[in-house]
Amino acid sequence: MMFGRRAFLQFAAGAVGGTLLSPLPWKLADDSAIWSQNWSWRPSPERGPITKKATICTLCEGGCGIRARLVNGNRAVLLEGNPEHPINRGGICPLAASGLQFLYAPYRITQPIKQTQKRGEASGFKPIPWDEAMSELLDKLVNLRTGGTPHAVACITGQGQGSMRDLWQQFFDAYGSPNFFQMPSHSDSLKLAAFLTLGKEEPLAFALEKASYILSFGSDLIGGWGSPGRMLALWGDWNAAQSENKTPSAKIIQIESRCSMSAAKADRWIPIIPGSEAALALGIAHVMVKENLYDTSYVATNVFGFEDWTDSQGKARQGFKSFLLASENSLEEASRRTGLEPAKIVELAKDFATQPNAVAVWGKSRDLPEKVHHELAFLALNVLKGNLKSQGMISLAPSVPLGPMPQVLADEVAQQGLARKSLDQVKAQDIPLSRKSLYGFLKNLSEAPSYPIEVLMIHEANPAYSLPGNQVFQKAIQKVGWVVSFSSYMDETSLQADIILPNHTAFERYDDVIGVPGLPQAYYAVAAPILPPQWNTRHSGDVLLQMSKNMGGSVADALPWKSYDAFLQDRVKGLAASGRGAVAQTSARQLQETPEGASPKANYKDGADLWKKLASGQCWYDAPQNPLQLVQSPSGKIELAFQSLQSKELEAGKDEQCLPNFSSIALSGNEKEYPLTLVSYQALFLSHGYLPNPPFMTKTLWDFILRNDDSFVELHPETARSLGLDEGNRAVLKTPAGECIVRVHLFPGARLDVIYMPQGLGHKAYDQYIQSKGANPNELLEVQMDPVSGLGTAWAARAQLRRA
Amino acid sequence: MNEEKKNTSGKSRVGGAIFFAGFIVALVFGWVLSPNLIYSQRMQPMQFSHVAHQDSSCEDCHFFREDGTYSGIPRIEKCKECHEAPMGETEDERILVEEYIQKDREIPWRVYAWQPDNVYFSHAPHKAGGMECVACHRDVSSEEKLPPYQENRLTGYSKNTMKMDACEKCHADRGISNNCNTCHK
Ligand code: SF4
Repeated sequence: MMFGRRAFLQFAAGAVGGTLLSPLPWKLADDSAIWSQNWSWRPSPERGPITKKATICTLCEGGCGIRARLVNGNRAVLLEGNPEHPINRGGICPLAASGLQFLYAPYRITQPIKQTQKRGEASGFKPIPWDEAMSELLDKLVNLRTGGTPHAVACITGQGQGSMRDLWQQFFDAYGSPNFFQMPSHSDSLKLAAFLTLGKEEPLAFALEKASYILSFGSDLIGGWGSPGRMLALWGDWNAAQSENKTPSAKIIQIESRCSMSAAKADRWIPIIPGSEAALALGIAHVMVKENLYDTSYVATNVFGFEDWTDSQGKARQGFKSFLLASENSLEEASRRTGLEPAKIVELAKDFATQPNAVAVWGKSRDLPEKVHHELAFLALNVLKGNLKSQGMISLAPSVPLGPMPQVLADEVAQQGLARKSLDQVKAQDIPLSRKSLYGFLKNLSEAPSYPIEVLMIHEANPAYSLPGNQVFQKAIQKVGWVVSFSSYMDETSLQADIILPNHTAFERYDDVIGVPGLPQAYYAVAAPILPPQWNTRHSGDVLLQMSKNMGGSVADALPWKSYDAFLQDRVKGLAASGRGAVAQTSARQLQETPEGASPKANYKDGADLWKKLASGQCWYDAPQNPLQLVQSPSGKIELAFQSLQSKELEAGKDEQCLPNFSSIALSGNEKEYPLTLVSYQALFLSHGYLPNPPFMTKTLWDFILRNDDSFVELHPETARSLGLDEGNRAVLKTPAGECIVRVHLFPGARLDVIYMPQGLGHKAYDQYIQSKGANPNELLEVQMDPVSGLGTAWAARAQLRRA
Repeated sequence: MNEEKKNTSGKSRVGGAIFFAGFIVALVFGWVLSPNLIYSQRMQPMQFSHVAHQDSSCEDCHFFREDGTYSGIPRIEKCKECHEAPMGETEDERILVEEYIQKDREIPWRVYAWQPDNVYFSHAPHKAGGMECVACHRDVSSEEKLPPYQENRLTGYSKNTMKMDACEKCHADRGISNNCNTCHK
């Protein structure tokens, strides 16, 4: 019988019936549904025993205690705040909460690589073995010393306050180059204010825990000021106290032109003309002096230069009091400069003067210095309030008595190298308080350097992106012979390197934190690795030590440790030997409550014991100090007329140069062409420094900050209307430094004619999840060099905005 | 006419038989063959005899950790406690010692009851509820050799992975919540 068409159909019909009565179709339907759970690219968490490891976060300088959750002891799956740590008391900021994305980032550099094509060519990097990479660097360093030009080696580090910074410094002192630089920091200018006022170049600290009234001059207190971990915990206390109607809760007055997160949550927001914060401080000081609201007995006993005085040449000099009462500092003048009603300034002055624990804080950003004269104005306001005293609101951050570095016995070559001026100083004769200035270095290098830089080492810094006015870095790097990056990531700066010797990430290495910005107590903590290195990377400290050892001679003698861990242990041994301070045991507020001068009883046996405790995530602390006992100024008092500045003959005869004063910023560019002002701001939900914004954090951005690949600028609705712009419109933002495409967000918390732009977007490197998202204001800002310190200040520029 | 009729009924009988044949073939395929065809048989990386380990208690290897999580299959550390040096001369003993213990590598066991990542399953409440291990797992007390692992060719899951309807049924029978977030958190 032929199996014809009809028979086939009959068979098929039977098969369909049979299949339907079998489990096959249902099984297949079910399986295809769960098939999608096994796609190979679907992330699958490792399973195994969960352990927790406490350590210290070093993603910023905040000094928070964190805990990592690990699976099988080698896969980190969560970072959380350590509730037993006295700084953050269990809190964590968004950066650290997403911090593990740095550890497992696809843009990590997993082994040493070398550029084989033109600099900046991403595809030109080829792997080379560690030994080869190290000997290449060693040969260059040795040859420069043999040739008698050790000063042709320079370094930029992004690590501000840690032993790694000190190790670099030690290396440069022994090797013989003065060209060691750090990324800019607010403490650069803060320390100078302390130097001029108190005679000690130490960072200032604020006892905000006991404040009842805080005048914040543009400091985004919960947006990243000081130690974000400490500030978030504190703000939580204030909120809780307020909601439970308990005292003490601090009253917070936020003074800044934009309604920042802190302004929105403060008790009062005082919007002023951007950049006029110091003018308001002087205005308030004026009212306090005029109405006799300042601490008269404190000022009479402890302050020099309040009244008019006579200098060593017998010349009559103006004091702060008559300066404040002069017509150029009148209430009306302050009102004109700040855009505030005179009555409001008087009200602020009265409130500030009458509150028992009132303090003025300042500093827009942790990473940028301010004009020294402005720093002095804010500090002077606190002096009038009598805040710098025993148990006062402001003190000097105490130093940590770590084991000292061995003395450097510089050989002849090193002595010659160190005798050269560092490249930033060659043209700095006119700067009275000239300090190491990265901008000065880059500027001189990009123009006509008086000597070449053959090797530039860049350690955990990304100036090609994060330095305001980063064009100067791009120009300067063209002049460098050979660029070495120690970054663990393929960032904008690493892309420009000739060779990359990747560091471990913060979670794979030992590191330390010496002091917390703004904290009156001495603080020291060791960040121990939470897991072993994931890739073929090396601790930059170990690389430096190995390099020194191979160089031999006085360089090797100055850096005698066999590893970076050994170096840290040595320092901790020294700390233990000092017998000072104690290990903070729990989150209990003992750290904040330790009275001044009463050093807590040491609760560690010896160096090894202290190291063990620190390496397990605890921290060492010591009592705050009385600033009045530390004064070392020429007059032996707190100075409001700065004799140290005067002795540098700053604009001889101009007394106001030796007093706290205000000068408005003169931004370059034609006012007609650029009728608006661009101001950049930082926020806790956007990482803007060395570390890029991790994708988890980018997920939290509102769609009026970043939408697809466009970032937004904030504009007052009226300003937008006058420019013919509406919510979400794309526009060209142009400043004398450059231009970019942005979208417009209408924000009533913006000031008229000011454009606000967030920092942290607009990367060009890393991977697809980070690059090409938004625009980077650092390419648009204007950098101004402070005439007193030579430090670059940058937060604004003249701008125009037109529809794209 | 009659002939034609006869012819038709003969044809329809044949047609019915063909239909029935198709029906039976599909049933056999669906019920008997396909369940075997859809799984591929995988061998474990090495053999293991539960019987040979009867001097230890079950909890020596399959225990609850201090934090209440269940340890499941022991890690190589556990094997190392006794097998640091070979304890016999079998090939499997050699594999265990040379390939895993000495190289400090975990044995990539295929887990018969592996639940997908979107299922939150905790052994602790099931144990506390008085369930016996064998309610869900095979009885290994007299097992000399590990059975082959049957992997679903489509989904990659083990044949023994308990499916949602089984979980739900047991929960329903015992009056335990079947809310989505009981198991999918
Ligand atoms: S504030 Fe700084 S130190 Fe604290 S958790 Fe965040 S990144 Fe780490």
